[in-house]
This record gives sequence, C-alpha cells and structure tokens, in this order.
Amino acid sequence: MNDGPLIVQSDKTLLLEVDHERADECRKAIAPFAELERAPEHVHTYRVTPLALWNARAAGHDAEQVVDALIGFSRYPVPHALLVDVAETMARYGRLRLEKDPAHGLVLASTDRAVLEEVLRSRKIQPMLGERIGADAVAVHPSERGNIKQALLKLGWPAEDLAGYVDGEAHAIKLKQDGWALRPYQQEAADAFWHGGSGVVVLPCGAGKTIVGAAAMARAEATTLILVTNTVSAHQWKQELLKRTSLTEDEIGEYSGTKKEIRPVTIATYQVMTTKRKGVYAHLELFDARDWGLIVYDEVHLLPAPIFRMTADLQARRRVGLTATLVREDGREGDVFSLIGPKRYDAPWKEMENQGWIAPADCVEVRVTLSDEERLAYAMAESEERYRFAATTPSKTRVTEALVRRHLGEQVLVIGQYIDQLDELAEHLNAPVIKGETRIKERERLFQAFRDKELQVLVVSKVANFSIDLPEAAVAIQVSGTFGSRQEEAQRLGRVLRPKADGGGARFYTVVSRDTVDQEFAAHRQRFLAEQGYAYQIIDADDVHQ
Amino acid sequence: MMEFTQWIRERTDDQLGALVSARPELITPVPAHLEGLAARAGSPSAIGRALDRLDRFALAVVETLAVHPDELTRDSLRDLLARATEEDDLPLDDTLERLRALALVYGPDDALALAPGVRKVLDDPAGLGPPVTEVFRHHPPEQLEEIADDIAPGTEGGGKERLRAALAEPAKLVEEVSPPARKALEELAWGPPSGRVPNARRAVRLATARSPIEELLARGLLAATGEDSVALPREVGLYLREGRVHRDLSPVPPPLEGAERPGSLADRTAAGQAFTFTRAVEELCERWSLDAPGVLRTGGLGVRDLKRTATQLDLPEWAAALVIEMAHAAGLIAAGGNVDGEWLPTAGYDSWRVRATEERWVTLAVTWLHTDRVPGIVGERDERDRLLNALHPDLRRSSAPEVRQATLRVLATAPGLAPSRESVLRRLAWEQPRRRGALREQLTDFTLREAEQLGFTGLGVLSAHGRALLSGSKEAAAVLAPLLPEPVDHVLLQADLTAVAPGPLTSDLARWLTLAADVESTGGATVYRFGEGSIRRALDAGQGADELLSMLARHSATPVPQPLSYLVADVARRHGRMRVGTASAYIRSDDPSMLDQLMADRRAVPLRLRRLAPTVIASRASRASLVDSLRAMGFAPVAESLDGDVIITQLDTRRTEGVPVARTVSSFNGLDPDVVAAAVRAMRAGEARRGPVDAPDGAVPRGPATATISTLQEAIRQGVRVWIGYLDSQGNATSRILEPARMEGGYLTAYDETRAAVHRFALHRITGVSNLS
Repeated sequence: MNDGPLIVQSDKTLLLEVDHERADECRKAIAPFAELERAPEHVHTYRVTPLALWNARAAGHDAEQVVDALIGFSRYPVPHALLVDVAETMARYGRLRLEKDPAHGLVLASTDRAVLEEVLRSRKIQPMLGERIGADAVAVHPSERGNIKQALLKLGWPAEDLAGYVDGEAHAIKLKQDGWALRPYQQEAADAFWHGGSGVVVLPCGAGKTIVGAAAMARAEATTLILVTNTVSAHQWKQELLKRTSLTEDEIGEYSGTKKEIRPVTIATYQVMTTKRKGVYAHLELFDARDWGLIVYDEVHLLPAPIFRMTADLQARRRVGLTATLVREDGREGDVFSLIGPKRYDAPWKEMENQGWIAPADCVEVRVTLSDEERLAYAMAESEERYRFAATTPSKTRVTEALVRRHLGEQVLVIGQYIDQLDELAEHLNAPVIKGETRIKERERLFQAFRDKELQVLVVSKVANFSIDLPEAAVAIQVSGTFGSRQEEAQRLGRVLRPKADGGGARFYTVVSRDTVDQEFAAHRQRFLAEQGYAYQIIDADDVHQ
Repeated sequence: MMEFTQWIRERTDDQLGALVSARPELITPVPAHLEGLAARAGSPSAIGRALDRLDRFALAVVETLAVHPDELTRDSLRDLLARATEEDDLPLDDTLERLRALALVYGPDDALALAPGVRKVLDDPAGLGPPVTEVFRHHPPEQLEEIADDIAPGTEGGGKERLRAALAEPAKLVEEVSPPARKALEELAWGPPSGRVPNARRAVRLATARSPIEELLARGLLAATGEDSVALPREVGLYLREGRVHRDLSPVPPPLEGAERPGSLADRTAAGQAFTFTRAVEELCERWSLDAPGVLRTGGLGVRDLKRTATQLDLPEWAAALVIEMAHAAGLIAAGGNVDGEWLPTAGYDSWRVRATEERWVTLAVTWLHTDRVPGIVGERDERDRLLNALHPDLRRSSAPEVRQATLRVLATAPGLAPSRESVLRRLAWEQPRRRGALREQLTDFTLREAEQLGFTGLGVLSAHGRALLSGSKEAAAVLAPLLPEPVDHVLLQADLTAVAPGPLTSDLARWLTLAADVESTGGATVYRFGEGSIRRALDAGQGADELLSMLARHSATPVPQPLSYLVADVARRHGRMRVGTASAYIRSDDPSMLDQLMADRRAVPLRLRRLAPTVIASRASRASLVDSLRAMGFAPVAESLDGDVIITQLDTRRTEGVPVARTVSSFNGLDPDVVAAAVRAMRAGEARRGPVDAPDGAVPRGPATATISTLQEAIRQGVRVWIGYLDSQGNATSRILEPARMEGGYLTAYDETRAAVHRFALHRITGVSNLS
C-alpha cells in the first residue's frame, strides 16, 4: 500500500491531505493539470477537467507527467479508466493548429488527417472555412478565428493558436518602481503571459493582480483596453496605474455609464459594454476605436457572455485575463480557454501565504438572538422586508458596542448597509459615520484621521466598499450587507484587512440574527470562506457580552 | 472401426478417464459400454468438438494424416510436417500423445491412424480439395473416358481407373498446361481449392478448349463438383504445393507482444478497479432500490434509463451496461415489483452487500467468466433490426464464456505483459484455428475491455487475483484482499462542514456517517457534508447532540471544528421543540370513555397504545393488525383512510420477489473427477458383462436412512458394489445392484448394473442397502 497524500475520487476530483509530509511536493505536481476547488484546513480538493488538462498541455506538460504524478502520489490504485481518459484527453490538444500562412492567411492545419476530416464534416465548422489547401490544411476566414476555436473546443479538439498577434498602436508605458518593487511571482506571471502570447493569470485574492496587469502593459508597450467589472473597480485600476506606472492622468480614460473617454489606456466596465440600445450593443465601437495592442480582462470568471462574443472578433490582439479562480458558476470555462487563452500562470496559494504576501483573516460570526416580540414581528413581515428586519435588529447594536470595547486600541471599521442603523451605531459608539451624502472633503479628512490613528473607530456605509482610499484596518465588523456575491465580498475583505504589525491576523466579525434569513446568507458565506481557507468561528452574542 | 474399438478397449482406466475428462460430451449420457464410447467418439459432432479444441500444430498433424489416404509412420509424418516449417524441433511426440489421449489418432508409431470419422469431418483439410476418387464420382462414365483419352491415350482399363492412374502422378500433366492455365492452377494451390465457374459440367475436349479453365477441365486438373463449381483434386494440389500440406506452419504459439509493466503496479491498478467496479454495482442497486427503472415490454432496460444510470455512475454507457448486466447475472437485480414490472434489487443483494469487498468482487467476476450474457452488444441491432437494450433477453452469445476464458488464459501465459490486441488475436488464432470469425474477434475485444473494467487485468496485464480466479482457485479473494484499501475508522473534519474519510470506512462508522451527513463524492475516499438537514436526520434517528459530538470527536483524526460543533448544538437547540411521534396507526373516537376502557384493557398492552388526547390514541402497530386486534377484543373499529394523518418516516426501499433469470454456463472447471471415474468404471463394467445383471433374489434390503447413507459413503470410498432396495418413480419397490460413485444434494450417482447405465437415485427413495460381499 502506497502511503501517498493524494486520493483520487471517481468524479475526477483529487483530495490532497495537506498535513501529509509529501503534500507540498504533491501540490506542485498536480497544480498544472488540476484546478483547486476548495482549500479548507485538512484536505484540499482539486478537480481534473479536460480544460485543466489542456491548460497543462499548453504549458508544455505531457500525459506521462500527469499519469506519473497521479500514480506516484495516490494512496490507492488509480482507476485505469481515469488514466486512459487523461492520456486521451491530453492527446487531443494541439492536433489542430491555427497558423499564419504567407499565401493563404489564416489556416487550420493538422498533422492528423483523420481529425481534420472529422472536424471538417461538422456543420458548425464548415461555414467558417475557406478553400482546402492540400491534404492537411484548410483556410479559415480571419474574422472567424475566435469562433472556430470555440467550436473546435466544443467538438473536443481544441486548436493551438499559433497565428500570432498584431502589435497595435505603440504607446510608452513603464513601471515606476519607486518605493515598491514587483514581487517575484508578479514578474513571473507577466513573463509567462508574454511568452504564451495570450492567456489567463490565476492569482489568489490580495496577491496584486492589478500590478500583474500593469506589468503586462509595460511588456506590451502599446495602447491597452482594460475591461473591469464595475465603476469602482475602474477607479481602483486608474489609481493603481497612476501610482505604479509612468502613465499620467491624461493618458488614462474611463469608459463607463457616466464618462465616455477614449485614451491610449482606456478602462471600460462590463456593464457599459453589455448595455443595449434598441436591441444592439451600443458601445461595440470601442473595440475598434483604437488599434489596441493589449486587452486586459479583470475578473475573468465574472466576464459576461456578450463580452465573450465581442472577444471572438479580437483574436489577433494580445489578451490577458486576470482571476482568482478559473471555475465559473455558469460553466463557461471553455470560452475563457478558447477566446482569452490557456492558463499561463498559477501561483500556489499556500506558498504565497507562507511567503507573507497574503494573509487570510480570522472570520467570526456572532449570532444574536431575537427577542420573542421580534420573532413574532419577523414571522409576520413581508418577505422582501424580512432581511432588513433581521439585519437591523437593535440587539446587533449592543453586540457591536461590546466588540468595539473588546478591541479597544485597535483600528476598527464598522460596515453596514442601512443608514438608520449606522446613524444609531455611530451615536452609540461615539464615532463619525461616512455615508453616501458625506462630502468628499469630509470623507478624506476622516480617512486620514483614521490612517493616522487619531480616530480609532469609523462607521462606514456600503459606499466604503467601493472606495479606493478606504483605509486598512485590523478589525472589521459587518452588521448588515448584501450578500449577493460572496466572492466579491471576500475580495473586498482582503483589501481592507491586513495582518497586524505584531504578526497576529486581522479579525472580521459578522453580526447575524439567529434563525432568520440573515443566518441563511451567513451559512453560504461560511462555506465559501472556509473553502477559501479562512479560519471561521461561530460565537453567541452572550459570549461577547461576558 | 473394429480396430479403433479394440484400441479403445485396450486403453487403461486412467487413459479413458483422461479421454472423457478432455471430451466430456462423450459421457453425456454415459455410454453402456466401451463399444458405445468408441462409436460416440467417432460421431461427426463429437469429432468436430474435439477438433475445435486443437491448436494450430495439432490440427496440422491431423490434417496431414487426413490428406494421406494410408496409415503413416511417425517418421514419414515428421518429414511431411518438416517441409512446411523452418523450425527443426517439432514437438511431434508430445502432440501425438495428446491426440491419442483425445482418441483422434490411434495405433502405434509405425502405423498411425486417424480415428474413424475424422476425415469426413475435415472437409478441405489444410485447404486441399477432395481426392480424385471422390471429385470425379458424379461424372458420367463417357466424360471420364473422354478426359482419360485426352490425358492418357493408349492406356488400358475403364475411364475411372485410367484417370486415377494418370492423376496419381500429376507432374507430367501439370507441366504440359499452357501458361494462363498454369497461373490459374497456382492461384488455387494455396487458396481455397474450389472456385465458381458457370456451367461447370459442360463437356470439353482438349482440342476445343477455349479458355484456361476449359483446358484444365479437359485435362482433369479441375473437376466439376456442381453446376457452377469446380475443385482442384487433392493429388494435383499436393503436387503444386511441392508435397507440403501446410505453408508456414508454426509448431509453437506466436509470441505475445506489448508493453511490459511491473506486476505489482498491474495488481494494484486492477485491485483499484475491482474496488471501483464492486462499488459501482452497489451504488447501482442502492439507486434502483429507491428509484427503480421499468421493464420494457421486450424485457430490457430503456435506453434513457441506461443513459441516466451511466450519468449517475459516472461511467461511459458500455461500462454502465456491464455493471447492470453483471448485477443481473449475479442475481443481484431482477424484474419484479408492480404490474408493469420494474428492475429491483433481489434479496440476494442484501446478503451480497454485507460481505467483504473481495468476496463481493469474486462473485461478480465468476459470474462474468461464466455468463453467456454479452453486455458489449448493447445498442446493436438483432437480425430483425430490433434494438438490443441492456437486460434484453437476447443479449447472449453461447460462445461468450469460452472466449472470455480462452482470452484470459492467453494473458495468463505472459505475466507482466500487456499484450496488444493483435497479438492476442494471433495467439488465439493459433490456439483454436477452427474457432475464428468476426463474432469471436468482437467477443475477444469485449473481453479485453471488460476485464480491465472489472479489475481482472490492470494496465492490460492479468492480475494475481484474476489469475487465481481463472485457475479455479478458491484463493482469489485472499489474494485480492490485501490490495484493497484497508477500512479506516477515522475521518478528517473540516471547517467547511465536510468530513473526509481517507479510505473505505468500517461498516458501522460508514452507516453512522451516512445518517449524520450527506455523501458528496466517492472513490478511494468518501467526502461527507454535514448540514442542518443531515444533523436533524441524525437527531431524528434518536441520536443526542452529545452523542453526535462525542462520536465525531472519537472518530476524527483532527479536532472537531468549532463551526461543526456549533452547528450540531444549534440544530439540537431547536430540535424537539415541536414533537412529532412515529405512529403507524391511530385510534380516534368521539367517546372518550370508550378509549378509557381500551387503555385499561390488559390485552391492549402489545399494541403499545399511547393516549395523545382524550379522543386520540396512537399505536405502533400497523393499521391492519390494530383493526384485527381491536376486533378480537370485542370492539368494532373501522379503518380510516390515510389522508395526511399518518406519518411514515421510512425510506421506501423495495425488493423483488422474482427469481433472477440469468443463467451461467458451467463448462468451466471441467468434470468432477468422481464422475469421470464412475463413468469409466461403468463403461468398463458394461464391457465385461455386456448387459444388465439380475438383482439377487430374496427380500429387498431395508434399513434406517442414516445407516443407508453411511454404508453408501463407505462403498464409494472403497469402490465396491452394493445391493439396494429402491422405490421407482411409480412407487414400485425394485432391487438394484449399484456401483456408487458420488453422493450429493440428496442424490446418489451410481452405475446401475441391473440396468447397465449410470443413474441418479434419490436418497430418500432408497429403502435399504446391503453389501454384496
């Protein structure tokens, strides 16, 4: 019996026992071809998917390495069917290649004639093709470069895109490393992307993906279109680029609902790109507005479907995708693979944590119990009012006060959604509150005071979530919020919370009303955070008061 | 025939035993005497079956003997065979010994003869046409005269004799033919010895021949064998082959080629697959017991149900079909259930399920070796173009078990080697040259694929446990057991509320965890997820929160994560604030005093009544038995409909009453040595007496059954004859002299000298027994 750290499951997930002495070695061996799905404290779950295997192929790994890794580290015999499947799947990548032919332009070529014949018979593929060039190649309409890759992937024969890129309009962009330096892994990620031509860089939350984007731009030295999830994110990108690169305010444009600037570096939101007017996308011309040399996709796992379709036409331009995970909730990982590119870089989460680049926070859920009258009122509330009712119960205020007292002397942020609740809290805590109506000047003053530690407790509304200059804190207390996207929330947490100087982790409290919809949301978040490796604890409000 | 019979008579008992063991069809039923055995050994069907078992070289020896009309000496036989091969070292003596043992060849080395009937069964031996005497048999005498005139002018005698004389040494005739005709002859020499020619019987003369074929017909080098067919006479063929009967004859089996793999790796991989397969069967039965697919009108499983099952089991469809078919053939699932019929696990599944994994695998693997069901053809169409579904009654091929075993035995000859499909097929073609064809090739492909899926082979190499099972050893389970994951008695608990069992769990723990958590993924390990629902389920099943937590702590290799213990406490806190009891039936009445009376009645104690309210009593007894009991107590209750009042919390798992119908073919381990010995003894005895003996006069023996059995056992052991009294099927008392052979399952198998045949006797009808001596 082999005593390996890895257990292969029949659903093609791999369980890695992290406390095993060979766990690190094993993690390195399987990371190229398996996606990390969950990373709780003892056993991490990886998944072997065709895409993951093709990513490994694109990165130069072969089936033998994969099989060796599985057999070598597996505690139990690996089902033969899985090994065969791995070998067969990997052999499919690269049988077909998209190439630039001097005479015929874009061609689909193959060394395996049978495969070529098979895909040529597909009704989906046929309209994209031009004339046949010899036995092993066929011309492809240049405009179909993305579509054919998508279609081929669906047929199970992913094509390797070797057709190259246009350089785009040159524009000088330099990294401005004053007082900071590119971390080694960020450098590696940017290099890996550049050598691969196009592709996706996977880095955990808080690892500085924006900087990798900036480094990629500095490699390209060309006009760049950056697509981001929302306006706040657009502002963050702009600030970061101003801080990290030679770019000036005039060179960076924002293309969003409110502003329509097109500059050498333009940051557009997914939302504006997917806005339709009279049934057509209103802002498609942005893609052709300049001769872009690089397109950056932030948070690829959230990229909406229409943008995929637009991206299909941009295959001759270099593309870099940035994300914390390749797993998409809509299952469109295949489109990321074919339209943006294979995974080019993936940093082991644990290693980065060991090197001190990122630090997960300690999460504590505090449960308050509603009084009998409150419970009755809650039961009778309209369903749309229920959450607000549960989230703003007065019991929360008392617990929050106790928590703040507990962390006396530390920088504490109290975050909430409902203004009434925040005002009441601010009054009880004797702390200033920042909300939507707070003027910029006042906001900046308070932030500065908080940063200078003149102010230790600050109550902020949801606007703080979207504010780039939100100061860092050692403790955050969330009393209410929208738990729409748990992942986004976790990312914001990563931004706000930094390890304390004394090495202790940051604390993140969530105050939750017991036996209500509030608690149901919390259960989802608990699972997500625990799977991300955050320590998670649940305590009763009574424990806080003691 | 007489010589052959005599030769058979002269065989020793051991030799006869070996003969009937190798050719079991000769003693089903047992012939009365050795003459009968000889006659049966010469029957076409028996010879056909014996020839089917020969390998390429042994068959070549038989063919060479068959081609030559007279007895051959060993040395001349060796010369003939040596011409066909470049090998110097022919295993001729061994092969002849084998053929004698099979009674296909008899006689001493200086006069080897084929058993009667062999020549007739071998049409076109080694691809040679019929001899001259036969091939011209149906020609009219005039035509024979004409041919003889053309090729042997001036010779004496009838046409037939002249022709035979001329063709006995065909050298001159063949050398005289025109080049195109010669070319046609060459083509027929090694190919099939016959061809199709329109109007083959036409009379042609050499002088008027217009085509190469007509020329050959006129010369007697081709003979019409039908209206449209011609054949090359054997003598001519042999001449064209330069005296060789075979071309490229290989006296040794062709080598197997393929990748070499370390045996331990293959064993481990195979064991892993064996575990996976066994688990798949279990999962199939569990799923079907909750959600049974219907039986099609044609008797199979619907295509959609197969697809769904394949998805659930995470297997390709052919592998899912294999799992389903093996579960069925092993008697774990069968058609049953409601009127329309459903596929449900049998009671046999329940006893299979609780056995150790290795034993469960052996059951499935033995079934696979012996069943004539062929899951590989699921999805194909039969001759009437009907789709063959999984579990379809026609999903069988009688040769399947034999092909499976032959294929695996080929693998067994090459330890540590994963032979390629082609080299396996080549080897099989050598080992059983008469048993080839597209179906067998397909069955061989299925065998290789399914053996891997079942864990018989690992990475294409026959595993140690597969080898043990193939040789009929009872050790297979013991060989497999140490390779299977050892049951573990702990899990790893995590803050995301999962528990990972890093191996198969001990059954108690597994059952407990299945109660308290939901299974999320299976394989080498099992991942369980705790949730409100699953914790509540455990509490519902009577577990307390403390009990749950201490069970978790005891079986966790890591500390219980705080969110998990909080979850348990939180669910337990709310659990039971409403009380829901388990009652099978209730009694309600508008008259509380009547219920008072019932509660006070001593006879009501077994009903386990509980008063819930003045007008309601709950009972743990079923409604039917409650009604019966109340009636017995003198009340007049009326059963009430179920509408929402009764809560039954049990899962609706079901079992069929049906008997599994799949059959297995039991040719595998050969005949029992006792049966062989009895048959030989019987035939030998029949030989000596040639007819039934009379039972002794006097009273039929009588005695107690226990004495009967022990006397018979003693007689079997010593091999002596006994005198029994026996009630025949009409109930008449008869008296028999027996040579008992074996006793099994309430029956005695014995040679009955009074009837001169082997019979089975029901032990309970033997009225008594006495020793003859």
